[in-house]
Amino acid sequence: MVGLFVRLKLRLIRGSLRGDTAKQIGFVFSMIAAACCAFFGFLLFAVTRAADADVAQEIGIVAFTAFAMSWTIVPLLAFGLDETLDPSRLALFPLTPRQLAVGMLTAGATGPWPLASLIALFGAVIGLGRTAGGIVLGILAVLAVFAFCLVLSRTVTTALSGVLRSRRGRDLLAVAAVLVVVAGQLPNLLINRGVPGGGRALLDSLAAVLRWTPPGMAAHAISDGGLVGLGELVVVAASVVLLAWLWMLALRRALVTPDSSSQQAGSVRRSRIGRFLPSGMLGAVVAKELKYVRREPRGRIGWISAVVVSGFLAFSMHFEGSVFAIAPPAIAATMIGLQAANVFGIDGRALWMNAVVFTGERDVRTDLAGRHLGFAIIAVPLLTVLSVVSAILAGDLWAAVPAALTAWGVLGVSLGTGAITSVLSPYTLPERMNAFSSAAPGQGGLMFVSAFGAMLGTGLLAVPFVVLVAVGFTWVSVLAVLWGLLVSFGGRRLAGVVGWNRLPDLLAAVARPT
Amino acid sequence: MTNAVRTHGLFKRYGPQVAVAGIDLIVPKGSFAGLVGPNGAGKTTTLSMITTLLRPDGGVVEIDGHNVWADPIGVKGRIGVLPEGLRLFERLSGRELLLYNGQLRGIPLSEVSSRADELLRVMDLVEAQDKLVVDYSTGMRKKIGLAAALLHNPAVLFLDEPFEGVDPVSANTLTEVLRRYTESGSTVVFSSHVMDLVERLCDWVSVMSRGYIVAQGPLDSVRQGRTLNEAFLELVGARGDAPEGGLSWLGSSSA
Repeated sequence: MVGLFVRLKLRLIRGSLRGDTAKQIGFVFSMIAAACCAFFGFLLFAVTRAADADVAQEIGIVAFTAFAMSWTIVPLLAFGLDETLDPSRLALFPLTPRQLAVGMLTAGATGPWPLASLIALFGAVIGLGRTAGGIVLGILAVLAVFAFCLVLSRTVTTALSGVLRSRRGRDLLAVAAVLVVVAGQLPNLLINRGVPGGGRALLDSLAAVLRWTPPGMAAHAISDGGLVGLGELVVVAASVVLLAWLWMLALRRALVTPDSSSQQAGSVRRSRIGRFLPSGMLGAVVAKELKYVRREPRGRIGWISAVVVSGFLAFSMHFEGSVFAIAPPAIAATMIGLQAANVFGIDGRALWMNAVVFTGERDVRTDLAGRHLGFAIIAVPLLTVLSVVSAILAGDLWAAVPAALTAWGVLGVSLGTGAITSVLSPYTLPERMNAFSSAAPGQGGLMFVSAFGAMLGTGLLAVPFVVLVAVGFTWVSVLAVLWGLLVSFGGRRLAGVVGWNRLPDLLAAVARPT
Repeated sequence: MTNAVRTHGLFKRYGPQVAVAGIDLIVPKGSFAGLVGPNGAGKTTTLSMITTLLRPDGGVVEIDGHNVWADPIGVKGRIGVLPEGLRLFERLSGRELLLYNGQLRGIPLSEVSSRADELLRVMDLVEAQDKLVVDYSTGMRKKIGLAAALLHNPAVLFLDEPFEGVDPVSANTLTEVLRRYTESGSTVVFSSHVMDLVERLCDWVSVMSRGYIVAQGPLDSVRQGRTLNEAFLELVGARGDAPEGGLSWLGSSSA
């Protein structure tokens, strides 16, 4: 059974690479990255030997826990369910839950990344094991932690497999991915802002708590190296057995639980926004855009990241002086505008519904205007709030006025350039967002051209007035708004001509299989 | 009899592979036409080119006498489309999808709402009208897609595999709506590989194979006394029987 599942996993990896150069290159990079992680992980663990025994132990405890956490979270976010992780794929085979469990464990331990983690963990034996007993216990502890990571990750994925297969679950998970990335920045921010007692105190308090988790105990066992350590290892082993038992229960349940994606989902509220919008194509597109921001996870991710990054900027660039009131809203406006650099991407395969209606350049222009209006309805209040916040932080409330005006101008400019990149270099957004790719296979180049073009265009067209406002010519900010409107109008005009002429190509480019 | 759809030398290639090899498709006005052919025959490519979703490499397409690629304004208001693969705005509810479509075509909102309500009732989608399309079943998606295609009362309706994966109840609803639509003199062109269905519904058939039209005309002249399935298999050059031999272990299981 073990051999069979190892072969299955290897064959699945090989099968997914066959005949696809982009994926093959990606896999090679992934192998190199895994090798690097294995090497440097091992090295980093090993060099803690040079540190104080207490510090080394604390670092070990925190790092081991972090390992187990990432083993739980990363597969959920990055991969969802691969074929060997999804028990329902194996449900029809005559296998007992025990056989399934053994098989899926082996499948989980096969591959470059599990091997890399195992190698990196062994570094801890060198870093923490200061006695002969410590080294012997260390080898056992590393194996126990590795088993713990595997079983924990499998238990969580299996328990959530029902949710992961449903549309709502996947939507939630996509947004959760952004939140996890943001949460990952928190310690950074805390350390930068200065915690009372410094980094050491933070490490102390973290380690004091995490020491009692199974991975923490394992790390402690290595540095202890004596009977206490042995006792702790027994606890770790027991927790692995307990988790494995829970996992089998979850497996048994998952095998007979139907796919919840086919069940009826709830209704949406009928929106009343339509009443306040112009009738016809323009209003229809605006209403659709606003709905998509709320309902489409990819839309939500974009906006959440724009808001979060702007917030970070405002708080991390808090220096005195009105210059620093202007920069964060302007940068936020650029970021929001960048989302409009591939406006048709979010429609993807549904874009034909618009295309069969368009009868000329004017319709493409109207569609773009609707999308821009949708963006502006959310972005303008957002940028205004951000301007006020950063003006307060900069200690000059009046700076909020030029800051807001400038940000609106930048927004207009970036929407205008975005309209052009949207028709010149459109690409398909993948159905499932993940951290590694945001374009369909083979369209990475187009995505780069689009993002880079939009950045460059926005920069060239916006920097003159942003600089003028920043150095003190605040009245220029009034012109900035007009300039922004003008550029966005010009961008739509040009994009209308280009877009109409290459409408079928546009359709094909945003509807690639992912 | 005038033609609703006429192509002349319509041609499309993908790299070295010729998908549609210069076809002259004809669909008379008011007919219920079936475009049949095995997978990969070029049905979807043909329909995409006729409905302006794919640029042809050569040839002319005329709908009601208007050249599709030279005079899109004359054509786009006259056609309704249901492309293959159920490509819809997934995050709108069924009702919102219809309203969006109608408004996009410049129909006043009050008119769109009343048409949408009627279509939703006829398609038996009233209960699901406020659910997101992403949560719809295949049959429901085909029905809402057809409703969206009918909303502006087009003269010619193009449907790519409208019955694929649709349950019998929904299929019945779809055929009833289409029958009523053609009885008023409008034209339906649909692609399918379910011969029974084509035989039951259509009065005009075009058979495609490997990018060519191998037969075209009124149903009876194409099948020539045989069933459409027999005629089709012969036209596309397929053998009726599975190869002899092998599979000796299959059947009367002892395990």
